[in-house]
Amino acid sequence: MCGRCLELTRRSLLGGGAIAAAALHTGVAEARVRPQDMVPLIGPGFRPTDTDEKGLWKEMDRVEEEVAGSNLLITDPKITNYLKTLIATVGGPAAQDFRIYLAHIPDFNAMMFPTGFAVVFSGLLLRMRNEAQLAGVIAHEAGHFLRRHMIRSWRDEKRKTDIFSIASMAAGIGGAAAGAYLGDYVQLAELGTILSLFKYSREMEAEADAMGIKNMAAAGYDPMEMSNIWQQLIGEEEASARYRGKHRHKGGIFDTHPSEGSRMVDLRADAIELTVPGKKYENYRERYLATIGPIRPLLLDDQVKLNDPGASQYVIETLAQDGWNGLLRFYEGEVWRLRNRPGDEVRAEQSYAAAVAYPDAPADAWRWHGISLLKQGRTGEAKGAFARYLQMKPDAPDAAWVRQMAAS
Amino acid sequence: MLKRGLPAAVAACVALSGCVQTRQFADLQFTPPSGDYKLLVLRPDVTVGSITTGGMVQPRADWTDQARASIIAALKAQQAARGGNVTIVERRNQLPGVGEQELADVERLNFAVDQSIVEHKYLGNTLPTKRRIGLDWTLGEDAVRLGQKTGYDYALFMHAEDEVASGGRIALGVLGLAGCFIGFCAPNVGGQQQLDYASLVDLHTGEVVWFNVVTAGSQIPGIKFGDLRTPEGAAQMVERLLGRMKPGKAIREQQKLQAQERR
Repeated sequence: MCGRCLELTRRSLLGGGAIAAAALHTGVAEARVRPQDMVPLIGPGFRPTDTDEKGLWKEMDRVEEEVAGSNLLITDPKITNYLKTLIATVGGPAAQDFRIYLAHIPDFNAMMFPTGFAVVFSGLLLRMRNEAQLAGVIAHEAGHFLRRHMIRSWRDEKRKTDIFSIASMAAGIGGAAAGAYLGDYVQLAELGTILSLFKYSREMEAEADAMGIKNMAAAGYDPMEMSNIWQQLIGEEEASARYRGKHRHKGGIFDTHPSEGSRMVDLRADAIELTVPGKKYENYRERYLATIGPIRPLLLDDQVKLNDPGASQYVIETLAQDGWNGLLRFYEGEVWRLRNRPGDEVRAEQSYAAAVAYPDAPADAWRWHGISLLKQGRTGEAKGAFARYLQMKPDAPDAAWVRQMAAS
Repeated sequence: MLKRGLPAAVAACVALSGCVQTRQFADLQFTPPSGDYKLLVLRPDVTVGSITTGGMVQPRADWTDQARASIIAALKAQQAARGGNVTIVERRNQLPGVGEQELADVERLNFAVDQSIVEHKYLGNTLPTKRRIGLDWTLGEDAVRLGQKTGYDYALFMHAEDEVASGGRIALGVLGLAGCFIGFCAPNVGGQQQLDYASLVDLHTGEVVWFNVVTAGSQIPGIKFGDLRTPEGAAQMVERLLGRMKPGKAIREQQKLQAQERR
């Protein structure tokens, strides 16, 4: 009899759990954190005083030594100094305490470590259309430090796992004393604990967005650009998924970050709230492009070699909204050439031909253009293109081969 | 019957759930360094933390500093007793004549090689090409160059991590032990865990000549296996890890033969 009633409760319990999980799922878009509520929780020159935070910092010392000495870093002083200036501009009271490293990884990412050093991936520099967008991402990362997110998350996790351990032990002992089996409740509590940790992480991200956009707007950057980043990323992921016949991941209860869509919408509302009428906001696109110019071919080259033509095409077309040039046209051609679907060869040839019409066409555009001319039997023009290639890149590894082609 | 059986079961459980394990591998031709040798210890990697009630590890800066100092003192004393001349490098820029990046490269290479040793010697994924030939890994030219530049005979890489059960964790274990008497027995929630490993590289040949792993731990919080924070615990760890270096198989067989001949 009692066994049966236990069965019933167990079933209703699991049903209730499923409903709770579904409710959490639809409730993933958390309430927006308002920028005006975000104040930095630390001042300049912050050093930890609590035991747990000191321990965390100590561990990070070695991590930073490893990162700072990594051979994955791009160390071009012009670009690293630029990043330092940016983080100091949007870093609030800790402006002078940050360190920032640029890692050569072709991925959209940036991260902040508990002691105030940030790592930016080179894939981020490729995708940002102007300085305001880059400053927005850096301001978000700085926001994590200013709001002390690492130690707060750590403490939240410690508190919740402590409570869970004590409660499950008590449930075991209490259940044994009362002669009931409470294992299902313990499992549900475990799921609840895990979900609540993910939710806390998403709240921290929402805070960092709000803190970041506030500091970015205060520094005179157009705050709407921060929302545009997410619009671009959603577009890119959709394009990438479409090409592969998949669906874009739209966020869920096991995510550490709020969904991209909700971040885009919230940041747009933040930007409208923060915009002071009459104040002049800038995006500093020219300065941005001039600074990253020397590594832009490298960034594009990394991207097209990722074998993700959907994303690569989207990124190139997004950048081209600010104007096509020889570099972008050349890499557009590379996307088609490497994709190699029916008709792509012709598309690639058209892109190379378009690329060489611009004064900034890279040497390789002339090389590929020459090859396509040769295939079409336009030998004279091909020779001219090869000559241009060799003139721009006399030490090219394939110089002898190209010279031979030009001579034949 | 149940009541009588329980204390015995608890005692067995306590006895079985904690232990110290050590397992070393050596190059076939390895002879433990002795006499007048120069040993370079590269950035001993020490961390000591506390296990929270919920089982997370909270790194402790003060305990780590204490443990590191104790381990270094114990290591110096041990090696000096064997005739070794030890230099301990704490930061990558502290080795005269060797660039920071160069040292970082050797360290990273060693880390990758150590991972491979652990994978193929300890985790059971034995390589058919490396069966019954002792430890057959090398850091190659990079290590030889480091030796030539600095004049050291050996480089020692060392890692030690110790997680000490906090008061709350011990209380949880005690609660679990108390539960045994009413039928919910869970004293083994996980207690102190220590993991130490070391690799010795011959800087004349670049080969990893010796590797050892020590694990110590208890499923029951409150039971200790040498606390790295204390000088005694650190000395015990250094002794467990580096104290009983066995010569390689070929050398051991040679020694056995010589002993038989003498008889």
